Amino acid sequence: MKTAQAGTLESMDCLVTASEAEKGKGIFITMEGSNIARFRDSILKTAKTTLQEMGIKDVILSIQYNGANDIVLKARVEAAAKALIGGDN
Amino acid sequence: MALRRTMLYLPGNNPNMLIRGHLFKPDGVILDLEDSVALSEKDAARILVREVLKNIDFGGCEVTVRINGLDTPFWKKDLEEVIPCGIDGIRVPKVETPKDIELLDEAISEIESKNNIPEGKIQITCLLETALGIWNAYHIATASKRVTAICPGGEDLRADLKTSRSETSEELVGPRRMVVLAAHAAKVDPLDTVFSDITDDEGLRRETEWIKQIGFQGKSVIHPNQIPIIHDVFTPTEKEIAQAKKIVQAAKEAAEKGLGAVSVDGKMVDKPVVKRAEYTLQKAGLLEGGE
Repeated sequence: MKTAQAGTLESMDCLVTASEAEKGKGIFITMEGSNIARFRDSILKTAKTTLQEMGIKDVILSIQYNGANDIVLKARVEAAAKALIGGDN
Repeated sequence: MALRRTMLYLPGNNPNMLIRGHLFKPDGVILDLEDSVALSEKDAARILVREVLKNIDFGGCEVTVRINGLDTPFWKKDLEEVIPCGIDGIRVPKVETPKDIELLDEAISEIESKNNIPEGKIQITCLLETALGIWNAYHIATASKRVTAICPGGEDLRADLKTSRSETSEELVGPRRMVVLAAHAAKVDPLDTVFSDITDDEGLRRETEWIKQIGFQGKSVIHPNQIPIIHDVFTPTEKEIAQAKKIVQAAKEAAEKGLGAVSVDGKMVDKPVVKRAEYTLQKAGLLEGGE
């Protein structure tokens, strides 16, 4: 399975791993990290919105969260997804 | 004149520094896509820097982005992502000839035009990191109206000069003086390279005092702790402030009376001296920034 990563495990960051999903399977997101319960909904919303804006319908995302805000999370999801689909062309 | 006493480098793939760097109150921040970003992280850093630029208010800091070199496949993508985000300028590494700046100028103009940004808004700071770049400093500084500052390199320049770092940085004395001379001749700011030993406050103060004395207007910074030391050195003395106040006041009174000439303590002062006095007050935080 093809995968791509973006981000780090440093403070105020997150490590996002994007993996290919079969067509029609939709977006599947798993999360772990500090205070994850508190921010789960917000992280999910940002990640899904970012993928939808990119036109990505089927992907598996794993987010290792370490205090990233929405700006950073969005950037990391976009970078991982772009790397997965083959650069930013 | 924009205040450029301290320009703080923020690694482009480090959210913590990108988001918090300006809180240490440098005069400018440089979001770095070049040396501080690993080759495998270039795309991720570019996206992160773009999002930070779009969403973070950097207060009064001048915001520039150091792009990747013109000899890499990254620099055009860097420009396309960051110019539409409201930055003040681009810092470009390893400039060697005026042709480099013409190429960059053209690419910037195209992006400005596409994004309805007034032509010429994006400024350029040139890093001169080779002997050839230093030799061509004046011609580089005058190659485009966008160029507002030039800086000598540090480690890359030492390598190109086939020398190494000494305790007093003797090896960079000549290049630094050439950059100061070229910059002032071209009416752009000479800005110094970084002081890389972040634990040596005394050494930093000594070097900053020296570069100020030979004509530099500021210094690049790699750690927030260096900012107050450099600001302290570049902040004018009480005597300089008092003299500057006198000159600015005299110029104001002369203008109100419709007089062209300004006299202070029995001596005539001309326009550049008044401008310099205003800049002194600006550095002391007593006057708002001008052009």
